[in-house]
Amino acid sequence: MTTRLLRPFRRAETYRALLFYVAELALGAAGFVVLVAGWSLTLTLAITPLVVPLLIGLRAAVGALAQAEAAVARKLLGARSRPRASSPGRGFWNRGFAVVRDGAFWRQQAQLLLAWPIALVPLAVLSWAAELITVPIWHRWVDSRDVVGLFEVDSFPESLPFAAAGLALLIALAHLLGPMSSLSRRLAAGLLDDDGAGVGRSREELRVMRLRSLTITSLVSTAIAGVLVVIWAATPTDYFWPIWPLLSLGLLVGILGWVMLVLEHPSAARLAGGSEALAIQVGASAVLVGFLVAVWAVTTSGYFWPIWPALGLTLLAIVHAAVVYARRHRRIEVLEASRAGAVDAQESELRRIERDLHDGAQARLVALGMSLGLAEQHLGKDPDAVRELIAEARLGAAEALEELRDLARGIHPPILADRGLEAAVAALASRSPVPVSLSVDVSERPAAPVETAAYFTVSEGLANAIKHSGATQVTVRIAQSDGVLFAEVGDDGRGGADSAGNGLKGLRQRIEALDGTLWISSPEGGPTTIRAVVPCAS
Amino acid sequence: MRVVIAEDLALLRDGLARLLRDNGFEVVDAVRDGDALVHAVMRESPDLAIVDIRLPPSFRDEGLRAALELRARHPDTAILVVSQYVEPTYAGELLADGQGGVGYLLKDRIMEVGEFVDAARRVAEGGTALDPEVVAQLFSRRRADGPLERLTPREREVLGLMAEGRSNAAIAEQLVLTIGAVEKHVSSIFMRLGLPRSETDHRRVLAVLAYLQGQD
Repeated sequence: MTTRLLRPFRRAETYRALLFYVAELALGAAGFVVLVAGWSLTLTLAITPLVVPLLIGLRAAVGALAQAEAAVARKLLGARSRPRASSPGRGFWNRGFAVVRDGAFWRQQAQLLLAWPIALVPLAVLSWAAELITVPIWHRWVDSRDVVGLFEVDSFPESLPFAAAGLALLIALAHLLGPMSSLSRRLAAGLLDDDGAGVGRSREELRVMRLRSLTITSLVSTAIAGVLVVIWAATPTDYFWPIWPLLSLGLLVGILGWVMLVLEHPSAARLAGGSEALAIQVGASAVLVGFLVAVWAVTTSGYFWPIWPALGLTLLAIVHAAVVYARRHRRIEVLEASRAGAVDAQESELRRIERDLHDGAQARLVALGMSLGLAEQHLGKDPDAVRELIAEARLGAAEALEELRDLARGIHPPILADRGLEAAVAALASRSPVPVSLSVDVSERPAAPVETAAYFTVSEGLANAIKHSGATQVTVRIAQSDGVLFAEVGDDGRGGADSAGNGLKGLRQRIEALDGTLWISSPEGGPTTIRAVVPCAS
Repeated sequence: MRVVIAEDLALLRDGLARLLRDNGFEVVDAVRDGDALVHAVMRESPDLAIVDIRLPPSFRDEGLRAALELRARHPDTAILVVSQYVEPTYAGELLADGQGGVGYLLKDRIMEVGEFVDAARRVAEGGTALDPEVVAQLFSRRRADGPLERLTPREREVLGLMAEGRSNAAIAEQLVLTIGAVEKHVSSIFMRLGLPRSETDHRRVLAVLAYLQGQD
């Protein structure tokens, strides 16, 4: 019995867990400071370009703290956790967005916020137990003689039950540390480990992870609030001090919850002109103002100072809204232009097809009909002439067929419909007289127009390389990532591709109609690179 | 010679049936999709099935898929695939099992009735017929340092006709050479390309194709 009770004291794990919570207490405090300071600065400057370096800085700080926590959890608890310290992204704004969209970032913040309150529980119990156990020693020097604020201890025998209770508490804590640390280990593994996580995760998975971290944060916040209120109720204090942590937690959960709401329900963003960032800023500002008003009310009112931050935040929101609307206006202009381009492209494509039919197949069929008519006239009179005319007609039919086939291939290549992009591009490459090195990495089949655009990018690039550039090697790369399809054709030829020429102009219109971009680099002397990036979100 | 036709357009199906009957074939069934083709072939066990690549219901490559299924399930029936367009990839798939009795022609070739009927007979008897367009596409990726550069222009001509599935006699007739001269060219081609010598016509086609498709 005794050995079983005391077993945890002989195990190194117990002391490691205790050490872990001590470290967590320090890291959690640092994390809390970083998050509060970082986010208030970032949200305040959310509409200025400064927000991007701030976000990146915050990301780095959170990443570093998360890595420190993970290292501690690995060493002391054996948790499998290797967090990422940065969010990959290209371009100034994209790097900022990458941070906000990075599930790992949010999970690391959740872990930092959770670390502190969780660590507080065993350490508080430990100090309480230590206080009780030592009652027999210190009770005679303390005037108030209040133990846990409830009991009076006057003599040594009276103090003994408290020491016993303290011992019992210590033993209970030692037994509890095992399950608690395994919980912490799982939490650290779940929230911190992202060996490649976040990259290649679907929208749905990220959503589930976001929701999970919101749930955990609000549950833990509620638990902390409950514990604090109970502590307040158990102590004879009039001043309701838990209002401060309660308000801070409310602020955190409020902002986090609002962010989730906006991300979950696009209709919330629609109220803010379709901008998630604006909706988040307005909501967060409202929560912040509510917080400040509550602080004002708690501090026995007087001069209504929250009016100033409220006005400031409103001003920022108005500026942000103006930026959003201006940007939206520009976007509409771009859409109108690309749509006009698409209509143009379609119009000229139809005209080209009509002309090809008129000059080609139709003319040949007329000639064929004439040959047959003549043959009919000569029938029975001049068998040699008839044979010649019929042979002519057959030749004309064959040529008409060939032209129609080329025309059909130009509209939509059959192998693309049959077998998809990879096979169609491979067929293109195999027809090329110039060696082509081909790499296609497309996991799920993109929408038909996107696929066709990628195909024609490759076919146009190849045709260019073969006909004009004198290239000896062509590289074709097609890849899919982050909701875009990327097609690139590069050659080592002499360059000078005419981006205003018919082929490339039509291609550009085709791609812009899909909201994509075509990038052509072809300096005199080469090399030439043609790159199309088309959104293909499923 | 018993034939099954799979073609969804009635105009072409009836025309093809008539053309084949006029040339001494017995058309035992004419169907309009891939499943019906498989059933008809399993039931009738014809000498030859003539199949359009694009068939209902999806109008993609159903005909080709049915043809490949028949190759595996009923290898005794030779398959001649006809289409409005040709892809060397599909030719490779049809010839992949290394057996003869396979053809792949543009529908255009049907107009040259004599040649088309010859090709159908050749395939039904276990030979091969590959559209000149496929061969041309395979030849189009001639690289400056490619293996085809090792051949003389005349040898390239002979190789092209070989790839189409022609016999030495037919090649001799086409190029106005003696059979002996063609044989000399053929053995020279095999030697220069480092291909194993082979006797039967369809084996030669397979060797040439495998070689051309695998050259890059």
